[in-house]
Amino acid sequence: MRTKTLELLRNFQHGLSRTRRWLFVAVITLCMIPSNTRADGIGDILSLFHTITSTLQGPIGGALSEMQKVSAAVNNFRQQIIWPLALINQTRAFVSATRARYTGLISQIEGIKNTSATLALPMQLELVFRSAQSGSIGQIPSIYAQVYQPVALAGIAQPAQRNLMDIDDAMSMDSLKTAMVSDQTTQSMLTLADSLEQQAMTAAPGSASMVTAQARVADLETEAQLAKMLAAQLRQEATKLAHQNTLLKQRSVATQTLQNQIQHVLAHP
Amino acid sequence: MKLPTLSALWKVLRNVVAAVCGLVIVIALLPSRARSQLGLDPCCAMMSVGLNTISGLLRNSVAMPLGSIQQSQQQSANFEEQVVFPMAAISQARNMAVQFGGQFVQMRQLFQLPVASATLPVPQMLEQSLLSGNPDAMSQITSNYYSLYGTVMAQANAPQPIRNLVDMTDAEAQAAMKKAVEIDALADLELQAAEQINQQLQSAAPGTSTILEAETAAWLVRANAYTQSAMAELVRVRSIELANSSGQLKFSASHTATLQTTGNQVLQQGVQ
Repeated sequence: MRTKTLELLRNFQHGLSRTRRWLFVAVITLCMIPSNTRADGIGDILSLFHTITSTLQGPIGGALSEMQKVSAAVNNFRQQIIWPLALINQTRAFVSATRARYTGLISQIEGIKNTSATLALPMQLELVFRSAQSGSIGQIPSIYAQVYQPVALAGIAQPAQRNLMDIDDAMSMDSLKTAMVSDQTTQSMLTLADSLEQQAMTAAPGSASMVTAQARVADLETEAQLAKMLAAQLRQEATKLAHQNTLLKQRSVATQTLQNQIQHVLAHP
Repeated sequence: MKLPTLSALWKVLRNVVAAVCGLVIVIALLPSRARSQLGLDPCCAMMSVGLNTISGLLRNSVAMPLGSIQQSQQQSANFEEQVVFPMAAISQARNMAVQFGGQFVQMRQLFQLPVASATLPVPQMLEQSLLSGNPDAMSQITSNYYSLYGTVMAQANAPQPIRNLVDMTDAEAQAAMKKAVEIDALADLELQAAEQINQQLQSAAPGTSTILEAETAAWLVRANAYTQSAMAELVRVRSIELANSSGQLKFSASHTATLQTTGNQVLQQGVQ
């Protein structure tokens, strides 16, 4: 072996020129240099990789994982706690069942007739003012006058008394007419209430607030109409009070006049 | 002897210098990122492992959670679009507001129908003031009231207690009439407000309808307050009516006692 190696070196020395030998040595040397040249650069790359992977695993991966959990939790909370579909359907069914349960009973009660008059003219008047038809308002004065008599003629009663009769009749008829209008609008409001209930049967949680707002507006309408009825009642009561007061005034004056006349008679027997 | 030795030494020295110079030149010319040509580059292998690791991490730690979040949000969006805020239900609610608007107008027009019924001039004037729903016509109520019902009796015509009672009653009757006019006017405003809010509802979104609901609720509170004030007026009317009954009973008792005393005196004088 040793001999063979020496032989090879000797052949190498004699086979190649001196210049080529130097070139060969240089190439071998170069081949051996690079393996250790950039050790420091590889260390940096490894460090960079380590930083990237730890960033991906830690802050990014962790945050995303948490976001995933939160997103899933929010989704579940919405679907299972706030707006569970089964409960939404159950609530709609409840509205539907409530409507089915009470609509018939309410209709029966609404259908009850309150008319009680027995004679022809009162029956006619009662029929008109309970008709809930504003178109029949014009019939009230004539039938009213037939039942309660017209205002006394000028020769039959004093002007003050005639005025009292007229204003009492007027306030009475005004209120009857207002009650007819009110009855008609009540029917309309009941229809609207029915529409609201039907809407509630098919409403979604998101549209229910719109239905509620609509119901509130209808409520405001009803409140305004109630105020109008209350105003009519106030007019009636005020007229009644004024009537009683006028009678008191007239009685006072009459009593004083009578007293004066008696004194006059007694003074001149 | 010395000359050949020196020559040989010079040759060796020259070769060594040439070799060193060549080596220095070669090293100086080496590229900074030269790699070994024998076997796998350890840098490439490390880069490959590192990039594979990053790719795996991006796939598992980033892409998967992101995909899951996207899926969750998509599901949430679908749920809200189909179950919570379905467009059909929203449109249906808006249509209902349109339908209600028509009904509200009709009802307001019904309450504007003329109901005046007085036939004589003086009652007609008072009735006109009472049904006007015009707060500016308030001053006319007093004059029209006195024209119809008369003023308080003159001092010579009635004792002072009776005059006080009559004046108090007139005052309350007029106050109730004025309150009726106020309530009518307020009710008209409430009806107008209801129609305007309803118009807003026709184009409202689920998110804005709650604001309109709050606005309507405020109006309702106001309306209830006005109703309450009207009820108070009604209670006052009834109270004055009750007080009048009581006052008249007291006057009757007093008159009866006076009459009895006077009668006794007359009878005693007759006996004597």
